[in-house]
Amino acid sequence: MSPEELPPPEDEEDKRLMTLVASGDDDALRLLVHRHHARLVGYLRAEVGSQATAEELAMEVFIRLHRAAGRWRPEAKLTTYLIHIARNLVLNEWRRRGRKPTTALESAPEPGDLSHDSARRVGELDEAFRQAVALLPPEQRTAILLLVQQEMPYEDIAAVMEAPVSSVKTWIHRARTRLRELLKDYYGPA
Amino acid sequence: MNRPMHPPDGHDFDQDLARALAAGKDLPIPGFAERAVLAVRADRRRRTLLRWGSGLTTAAACLLAAFVLQGRGDDALAQRAHALAASDESRQLNDILGLVDELSLLTPVVDRHSVVEALINPEL
Repeated sequence: MSPEELPPPEDEEDKRLMTLVASGDDDALRLLVHRHHARLVGYLRAEVGSQATAEELAMEVFIRLHRAAGRWRPEAKLTTYLIHIARNLVLNEWRRRGRKPTTALESAPEPGDLSHDSARRVGELDEAFRQAVALLPPEQRTAILLLVQQEMPYEDIAAVMEAPVSSVKTWIHRARTRLRELLKDYYGPA
Repeated sequence: MNRPMHPPDGHDFDQDLARALAAGKDLPIPGFAERAVLAVRADRRRRTLLRWGSGLTTAAACLLAAFVLQGRGDDALAQRAHALAASDESRQLNDILGLVDELSLLTPVVDRHSVVEALINPEL
Protein backbone atom coordinates (compact mmCIF):
# COMPACT_ATOMS: atom_id res chain seq x y z
CA MET A 1 0.00 0.00 0.00
CA SER A 2 1.43 3.36 -1.02
CA PRO A 3 1.52 6.26 1.47
CA GLU A 4 -1.18 8.02 -0.57
CA GLU A 5 -3.58 5.16 0.11
CA LEU A 6 -3.08 5.21 3.86
CA PRO A 7 -5.87 6.87 5.86
CA PRO A 8 -4.98 10.12 7.61
CA PRO A 9 -3.12 9.51 10.86
CA GLU A 10 -5.72 11.42 12.89
CA ASP A 11 -8.42 9.00 11.71
CA GLU A 12 -6.28 6.06 12.76
CA GLU A 13 -5.76 7.64 16.15
CA ASP A 14 -9.52 8.16 16.50
CA LYS A 15 -10.11 4.50 15.70
CA ARG A 16 -7.52 3.40 18.23
CA LEU A 17 -9.05 5.63 20.90
CA MET A 18 -12.58 4.45 20.13
CA THR A 19 -11.49 0.85 20.57
CA LEU A 20 -10.09 1.72 23.98
CA VAL A 21 -13.21 3.71 24.89
CA ALA A 22 -15.35 0.70 24.02
CA SER A 23 -13.33 -1.34 26.49
CA GLY A 24 -14.03 1.21 29.24
CA ASP A 25 -10.81 3.24 29.11
CA ASP A 26 -11.69 6.66 30.52
CA ASP A 27 -8.26 8.08 29.73
CA ALA A 28 -8.85 7.33 26.06
CA LEU A 29 -12.25 8.99 26.33
CA ARG A 30 -10.68 12.07 27.89
CA LEU A 31 -8.18 12.26 25.05
CA LEU A 32 -10.91 11.80 22.46
CA VAL A 33 -12.99 14.58 23.98
CA HIS A 34 -9.93 16.81 24.14
CA ARG A 35 -9.27 16.24 20.44
CA HIS A 36 -12.80 17.00 19.22
CA HIS A 37 -14.69 19.15 21.69
CA ALA A 38 -13.60 22.58 20.46
CA ARG A 39 -14.68 21.96 16.90
CA LEU A 40 -17.92 20.35 18.05
CA VAL A 41 -18.83 23.20 20.39
CA GLY A 42 -18.00 25.68 17.61
CA TYR A 43 -20.47 23.97 15.29
CA LEU A 44 -23.17 23.71 17.95
CA ARG A 45 -22.75 27.34 18.99
CA ALA A 46 -23.28 28.42 15.39
CA GLU A 47 -26.41 26.23 15.24
CA VAL A 48 -28.10 27.17 18.52
CA GLY A 49 -26.62 30.63 19.12
CA SER A 50 -25.68 29.99 22.74
CA GLN A 51 -22.34 28.94 24.22
CA ALA A 52 -23.95 27.34 27.30
CA THR A 53 -26.45 25.31 25.26
CA ALA A 54 -23.69 24.35 22.82
CA GLU A 55 -21.55 23.00 25.67
CA GLU A 56 -24.51 21.07 27.15
CA LEU A 57 -25.28 19.52 23.78
CA ALA A 58 -21.62 18.70 23.15
CA MET A 59 -21.51 16.93 26.51
CA GLU A 60 -24.55 14.89 25.46
CA VAL A 61 -22.84 14.07 22.16
CA PHE A 62 -19.91 12.50 24.01
CA ILE A 63 -22.24 10.60 26.36
CA ARG A 64 -24.02 9.14 23.34
CA LEU A 65 -20.72 8.42 21.64
CA HIS A 66 -19.62 6.48 24.72
CA ARG A 67 -22.89 4.51 24.78
CA ALA A 68 -22.43 3.59 21.12
CA ALA A 69 -18.68 2.91 21.35
CA GLY A 70 -19.17 -0.87 21.48
CA ARG A 71 -21.28 -0.81 18.33
CA TRP A 72 -19.26 1.82 16.45
CA ARG A 73 -17.81 0.71 13.15
CA PRO A 74 -15.23 3.00 11.57
CA GLU A 75 -16.84 3.20 8.12
CA ALA A 76 -17.11 6.97 8.44
CA LYS A 77 -14.73 9.44 10.02
CA LEU A 78 -15.33 10.00 13.70
CA THR A 79 -15.74 13.73 13.12
CA THR A 80 -18.59 13.01 10.71
CA TYR A 81 -20.17 10.67 13.25
CA LEU A 82 -19.90 13.27 16.01
CA ILE A 83 -21.44 15.99 13.86
CA HIS A 84 -24.23 13.58 12.90
CA ILE A 85 -25.09 13.00 16.56
CA ALA A 86 -24.79 16.72 17.23
CA ARG A 87 -27.17 17.63 14.43
CA ASN A 88 -29.78 15.17 15.72
CA LEU A 89 -29.51 16.78 19.13
CA VAL A 90 -29.91 20.22 17.55
CA LEU A 91 -33.08 19.03 15.81
CA ASN A 92 -34.37 17.70 19.16
CA GLU A 93 -33.50 21.01 20.80
CA TRP A 94 -35.50 22.93 18.21
CA ARG A 95 -38.47 20.59 18.67
CA ARG A 96 -38.22 21.01 22.44
CA ARG A 97 -38.20 24.78 22.10
CA GLY A 98 -40.98 24.65 19.55
CA ARG A 99 -39.08 26.84 17.13
CA LYS A 100 -35.62 27.28 15.76
CA PRO A 101 -33.34 29.77 17.50
CA THR A 102 -32.92 32.95 15.53
CA THR A 103 -31.26 36.26 16.13
CA ALA A 104 -32.64 39.39 14.56
CA LEU A 105 -30.24 40.86 12.05
CA GLU A 106 -31.58 44.31 12.92
CA SER A 107 -30.04 44.02 16.38
CA ALA A 108 -26.54 44.26 14.91
CA PRO A 109 -24.66 47.38 16.00
CA GLU A 110 -24.84 50.24 13.58
CA PRO A 111 -21.45 50.74 11.95
CA GLY A 112 -22.01 54.48 11.75
CA ASP A 113 -22.27 54.71 15.51
CA LEU A 114 -18.96 53.04 16.10
CA SER A 115 -15.30 53.71 15.65
CA HIS A 116 -13.84 53.56 12.15
CA ASP A 117 -11.13 51.30 13.38
CA SER A 118 -10.56 48.57 10.78
CA ALA A 119 -10.44 45.74 13.30
CA ARG A 120 -13.74 46.87 14.75
CA ARG A 121 -15.31 46.96 11.31
CA VAL A 122 -14.15 43.42 10.69
CA GLY A 123 -15.70 42.37 14.00
CA GLU A 124 -18.98 44.04 13.06
CA LEU A 125 -18.98 42.35 9.69
CA ASP A 126 -18.35 38.99 11.32
CA GLU A 127 -21.27 39.57 13.68
CA ALA A 128 -23.50 40.54 10.76
CA PHE A 129 -22.54 37.30 9.00
CA ARG A 130 -23.26 35.20 12.07
CA GLN A 131 -26.64 36.80 12.56
CA ALA A 132 -27.47 36.39 8.90
CA VAL A 133 -26.55 32.71 9.08
CA ALA A 134 -28.84 32.38 12.12
CA LEU A 135 -31.72 33.63 9.98
CA LEU A 136 -31.30 30.91 7.36
CA PRO A 137 -33.73 27.97 7.22
CA PRO A 138 -32.35 25.00 9.23
CA GLU A 139 -31.19 22.86 6.31
CA GLN A 140 -29.47 25.76 4.59
CA ARG A 141 -27.77 26.85 7.81
CA THR A 142 -26.53 23.37 8.66
CA ALA A 143 -25.26 22.78 5.12
CA ILE A 144 -23.37 26.08 4.89
CA LEU A 145 -21.93 25.61 8.39
CA LEU A 146 -20.67 22.13 7.61
CA LEU A 147 -19.17 23.28 4.30
CA VAL A 148 -17.59 26.56 5.35
CA GLN A 149 -16.97 26.22 9.08
CA GLN A 150 -16.31 22.48 9.35
CA GLU A 151 -14.73 22.26 5.88
CA MET A 152 -16.53 18.99 5.17
CA PRO A 153 -16.85 17.57 1.65
CA TYR A 154 -20.31 17.37 0.09
CA GLU A 155 -20.44 13.60 0.58
CA ASP A 156 -19.84 13.89 4.32
CA ILE A 157 -22.41 16.67 4.63
CA ALA A 158 -24.91 14.46 2.83
CA ALA A 159 -24.12 11.64 5.27
CA VAL A 160 -24.57 13.90 8.29
CA MET A 161 -27.83 15.35 6.98
CA GLU A 162 -29.07 12.00 5.64
CA ALA A 163 -29.83 13.61 2.28
CA PRO A 164 -28.64 13.27 -1.32
CA VAL A 165 -25.59 15.28 -2.37
CA SER A 166 -27.78 17.13 -4.88
CA SER A 167 -29.98 18.39 -2.03
CA VAL A 168 -26.92 19.53 -0.12
CA LYS A 169 -25.68 21.49 -3.14
CA THR A 170 -29.11 23.09 -3.52
CA TRP A 171 -29.24 24.12 0.15
CA ILE A 172 -25.75 25.62 -0.05
CA HIS A 173 -26.57 27.54 -3.20
CA ARG A 174 -29.75 28.93 -1.63
CA ALA A 175 -27.91 29.75 1.58
CA ARG A 176 -25.29 31.79 -0.26
CA THR A 177 -27.97 33.59 -2.25
CA ARG A 178 -29.93 34.38 0.92
CA LEU A 179 -26.84 35.54 2.77
CA ARG A 180 -25.97 37.91 -0.07
CA GLU A 181 -29.50 39.31 0.11
CA LEU A 182 -29.28 39.79 3.87
CA LEU A 183 -25.84 41.41 3.57
CA LYS A 184 -26.53 43.45 0.45
CA ASP A 185 -25.71 46.64 2.33
CA TYR A 186 -22.17 45.36 2.64
CA TYR A 187 -21.67 43.64 -0.71
CA GLY A 188 -24.33 45.04 -2.99
CA PRO A 189 -27.05 42.98 -4.73
CA ALA A 190 -26.28 39.31 -5.47
CA MET B 1 -29.67 51.39 8.02
CA ASN B 2 -26.39 53.20 7.98
CA ARG B 3 -24.25 50.34 6.74
CA PRO B 4 -21.09 50.55 4.60
CA MET B 5 -21.59 49.75 0.95
CA HIS B 6 -18.28 47.94 0.83
CA PRO B 7 -16.61 45.44 3.12
CA PRO B 8 -13.28 46.21 4.75
CA ASP B 9 -10.43 46.46 2.28
CA GLY B 10 -9.00 43.25 0.84
CA HIS B 11 -12.02 41.09 1.64
CA ASP B 12 -14.70 39.42 -0.38
CA PHE B 13 -17.93 37.60 0.43
CA ASP B 14 -16.52 34.06 0.62
CA GLN B 15 -13.49 35.05 2.66
CA ASP B 16 -15.61 37.05 5.08
CA LEU B 17 -18.14 34.23 5.44
CA ALA B 18 -15.37 31.74 6.17
CA ARG B 19 -13.69 34.06 8.65
CA ALA B 20 -16.94 34.90 10.45
CA LEU B 21 -17.98 31.27 10.83
CA ALA B 22 -14.51 30.10 11.78
CA ALA B 23 -14.22 32.61 14.62
CA GLY B 24 -13.89 30.64 17.85
CA LYS B 25 -14.42 27.38 15.99
CA ASP B 26 -11.46 25.60 17.50
CA LEU B 27 -11.32 27.36 20.85
CA PRO B 28 -10.59 24.76 23.54
CA ILE B 29 -12.73 25.00 26.67
CA PRO B 30 -10.71 24.50 29.85
CA GLY B 31 -11.85 21.49 31.86
CA PHE B 32 -14.39 20.35 29.27
CA ALA B 33 -12.78 16.95 28.72
CA GLU B 34 -12.71 16.22 32.45
CA ARG B 35 -16.36 17.28 32.83
CA ALA B 36 -17.30 15.07 29.91
CA VAL B 37 -15.58 12.07 31.48
CA LEU B 38 -17.43 12.71 34.76
CA ALA B 39 -20.73 13.01 32.88
CA VAL B 40 -20.03 9.75 31.06
CA ARG B 41 -19.21 7.98 34.35
CA ALA B 42 -22.45 9.27 35.89
CA ASP B 43 -24.37 8.09 32.84
CA ARG B 44 -22.66 4.69 33.07
CA ARG B 45 -23.66 4.34 36.75
CA ARG B 46 -27.22 5.44 36.02
CA ARG B 47 -27.59 2.90 33.22
CA THR B 48 -26.12 0.15 35.39
CA LEU B 49 -28.63 0.95 38.11
CA LEU B 50 -31.43 1.01 35.56
CA ARG B 51 -30.34 -2.38 34.21
CA TRP B 52 -30.25 -3.88 37.71
CA GLY B 53 -33.55 -2.24 38.59
CA SER B 54 -35.13 -3.53 35.43
CA GLY B 55 -33.79 -7.04 36.08
CA LEU B 56 -35.02 -7.05 39.66
CA THR B 57 -38.42 -5.74 38.60
CA THR B 58 -38.69 -8.46 35.96
CA ALA B 59 -37.67 -11.15 38.45
CA ALA B 60 -40.18 -9.87 41.01
CA ALA B 61 -42.91 -9.80 38.36
CA CYS B 62 -42.10 -13.39 37.38
CA LEU B 63 -42.23 -14.55 41.01
CA LEU B 64 -45.51 -12.76 41.58
CA ALA B 65 -46.98 -14.19 38.40
CA ALA B 66 -45.88 -17.71 39.36
CA PHE B 67 -47.40 -17.32 42.82
CA VAL B 68 -50.68 -15.98 41.50
CA LEU B 69 -50.94 -18.60 38.77
CA GLN B 70 -50.18 -21.37 41.23
CA GLY B 71 -52.95 -20.17 43.56
CA ARG B 72 -55.29 -19.81 40.67
CA GLY B 73 -54.47 -23.38 39.58
CA ASP B 74 -55.42 -24.82 42.96
CA ASP B 75 -58.68 -22.89 42.95
CA ALA B 76 -59.46 -24.06 39.46
CA LEU B 77 -58.81 -27.69 40.37
CA ALA B 78 -61.01 -27.42 43.45
CA GLN B 79 -63.81 -25.84 41.42
CA ARG B 80 -63.58 -28.56 38.79
CA ALA B 81 -63.66 -31.26 41.49
CA HIS B 82 -66.75 -29.70 43.04
CA ALA B 83 -68.40 -29.48 39.63
CA LEU B 84 -67.63 -33.11 38.89
CA ALA B 85 -68.95 -34.12 42.26
CA ALA B 86 -72.09 -32.07 41.75
CA SER B 87 -72.69 -33.70 38.36
CA ASP B 88 -72.15 -37.22 39.73
CA GLU B 89 -75.70 -38.61 39.89
CA SER B 90 -74.64 -41.78 41.68
CA ARG B 91 -73.02 -39.68 44.39
CA GLN B 92 -76.27 -37.69 44.69
CA LEU B 93 -78.22 -40.91 44.95
CA ASN B 94 -75.91 -42.18 47.61
CA ASP B 95 -76.38 -38.96 49.54
CA ILE B 96 -80.17 -39.36 49.33
CA LEU B 97 -80.04 -42.97 50.42
CA GLY B 98 -77.61 -42.18 53.23
CA LEU B 99 -75.01 -44.66 52.05
CA VAL B 100 -71.51 -44.58 53.40
CA ASP B 101 -68.85 -42.63 51.68
CA GLU B 102 -66.85 -45.74 50.87
CA LEU B 103 -69.65 -47.00 48.66
CA SER B 104 -69.75 -43.75 46.76
CA LEU B 105 -66.15 -44.34 45.80
CA LEU B 106 -67.23 -47.48 43.99
CA THR B 107 -70.31 -46.09 42.32
CA PRO B 108 -68.68 -44.51 39.31
CA VAL B 109 -67.45 -47.92 38.16
CA VAL B 110 -70.64 -49.80 39.05
CA ASP B 111 -73.86 -49.76 37.08
CA ARG B 112 -75.98 -47.56 39.27
CA HIS B 113 -79.28 -49.13 38.18
CA SER B 114 -78.17 -52.55 39.41
CA VAL B 115 -77.10 -51.08 42.75
CA VAL B 116 -80.37 -49.27 43.21
CA GLU B 117 -82.31 -52.37 42.20
CA ALA B 118 -80.33 -54.45 44.67
CA LEU B 119 -80.98 -52.01 47.46
CA ILE B 120 -84.74 -51.76 46.95
CA ASN B 121 -85.37 -55.39 46.14
CA PRO B 122 -85.26 -57.45 49.33
CA GLU B 123 -85.12 -60.71 47.37
CA LEU B 124 -81.74 -60.00 45.95
